[in-house]
Amino acid sequence: MIHLKNLTKMFDKEYAVKNITFDLPPGKCTALLGPNGAGKTTTLKIIAGLMHPTSGQVDLSNGMRGDIRQYIGYLPQHPQFHNWMTGKEFLQYVARLSHIPYPESKKRAERLLERVGIADAKNRKISSYSGGMKQRLGIAQAMIHKPSVLLLDEPVSALDPIGRRDVLNLMEELKQEATLLYSTHILSDAEEASDEILLMHKGSIVESGSLQDVKERHQLDKITLRFEGDMQSYKEKVEAFPFVTHTDIQKKKLHVYVQNVPEARDVLLDLVNKEQWPLLFFEVGQTTLEDLFMKVVKEHAMADHL
Amino acid sequence: MQWLTIYKKECLESARNYRWVWVPLVFILFCIMDPLTTYYLPQILESTGGLPDGATFNIPTPPAPNVFMMSISQINTLGVLVIALITMGTIAGERKSGVAELILVKPVSYSAYVTAKWAAHVSLVLLSVFVGLIASWYYVQLLFGDVSFIHVMSSVAFYVLYIIFVISISLFMNTWTKIPGLVLFLTISVILVLNLITSIFSHLLEWSPTSIVSHLPALLRSGEVGQNLWMAGLITILSIIFLLFGAIQTLKRREIV
Repeated sequence: MIHLKNLTKMFDKEYAVKNITFDLPPGKCTALLGPNGAGKTTTLKIIAGLMHPTSGQVDLSNGMRGDIRQYIGYLPQHPQFHNWMTGKEFLQYVARLSHIPYPESKKRAERLLERVGIADAKNRKISSYSGGMKQRLGIAQAMIHKPSVLLLDEPVSALDPIGRRDVLNLMEELKQEATLLYSTHILSDAEEASDEILLMHKGSIVESGSLQDVKERHQLDKITLRFEGDMQSYKEKVEAFPFVTHTDIQKKKLHVYVQNVPEARDVLLDLVNKEQWPLLFFEVGQTTLEDLFMKVVKEHAMADHL
Repeated sequence: MQWLTIYKKECLESARNYRWVWVPLVFILFCIMDPLTTYYLPQILESTGGLPDGATFNIPTPPAPNVFMMSISQINTLGVLVIALITMGTIAGERKSGVAELILVKPVSYSAYVTAKWAAHVSLVLLSVFVGLIASWYYVQLLFGDVSFIHVMSSVAFYVLYIIFVISISLFMNTWTKIPGLVLFLTISVILVLNLITSIFSHLLEWSPTSIVSHLPALLRSGEVGQNLWMAGLITILSIIFLLFGAIQTLKRREIV
């Protein structure tokens, strides 16, 4: 498979990617997470050979050798096509460029257009395609030569809810055929579609592992409350309890991170009852990937300031 | 096979842009303009008011080979500009728009990518130059007298080498920048500078690609290819190979995005 070793990329003395090392797990779907500017796109472009690393290398194994391009399919964040071609012509063109014989290229183009759901528009000029149709065509061109690794840069971010659902389903199917590495900043998509996650921030990998492991490693129990009026006074009172690790207020909700859920729940509900607090919302749950994302990004932002 | 795929795609693109129609037409226009205006100059002067009464002005009819050379010098100025215009975005434009990202991420050989594009533009331009000069020869033959077709053909053969040289410079510049306008500027600048150097040091640089044109009048008249012309032709072919090689190597080292 593909191994990245001490990969670094600098743009004018700024690190875009800083000394990252990881092995792409074969047969899995890996999500590359991170805020904008974390280095996700740069990493994907380096793997695809479109950018050259400042230092470090991309190694192949498992019978893959030579030109990496024959094993990968790549979808850029904003795919651009020859707009004077029709969708079918373009697919056939890239198929022929991937050394697929003419009759087979025709068959594959037809089948893929069907599969990504733009068969109706196959004989129309690409210039008349909508953004979503271009994104679908982009996925089709990445799959045309049946690559063993698919690199998708923000495959769903630009799509409407229906398109997003279609593409996520398609990715679910593709998992059976290829190793997937895709970048996203939409955490619910990552939670839904991926087996492994890599969390990047400012060019470095700050967290990685299987989705389950990462969640367990960072998961905290929390109780979410909402009251009428100003939350600040309630926050101070709740913080006094020994089982509370910390609290914060987001979107007018008070998040209380606790160590012992049954005890905390009982004590808090008792308190609300006794003091007659105007309760609007009460939830016992766990931190989500989004909380983890925010936490990691904040921690590193803090470290930068110190 | 990959080479042919790219070549066909380029030709198809030229067809969809109607380049196969307008480029030959433009070259025909450039080539017949001078023979016609030279021949009809007295009538043109007449219709625009003529000369003052009593003034006599004797316009000698130029010899036929000189008129044919006028067409070639039209191509040398306006024609070269058109060539630079139609080739300026062939790689630079694809890289700028981002299509190159999709194409070159497939296992495409860089040499096939560059040379197929080069060959497609050479096909289009050579056809245009050829029909243009044939049209010029037809009018020269009709209006000014005999020029041997064989002499014309051998002149065209050498001149075409220079034209391919121009296309190769443009292809080479295409790999250095992503901005098509800059490619145009660099191509024209290089040709201007080469012309300037060749005319200043003409006794030293008789084999320069831009000196081919200056050897053509003799070839048209006598039909004999002088040694300097042979050498200039050889140097031009070597320069073309060098430029293509340079373009491929440059593109390999470039980041596509």
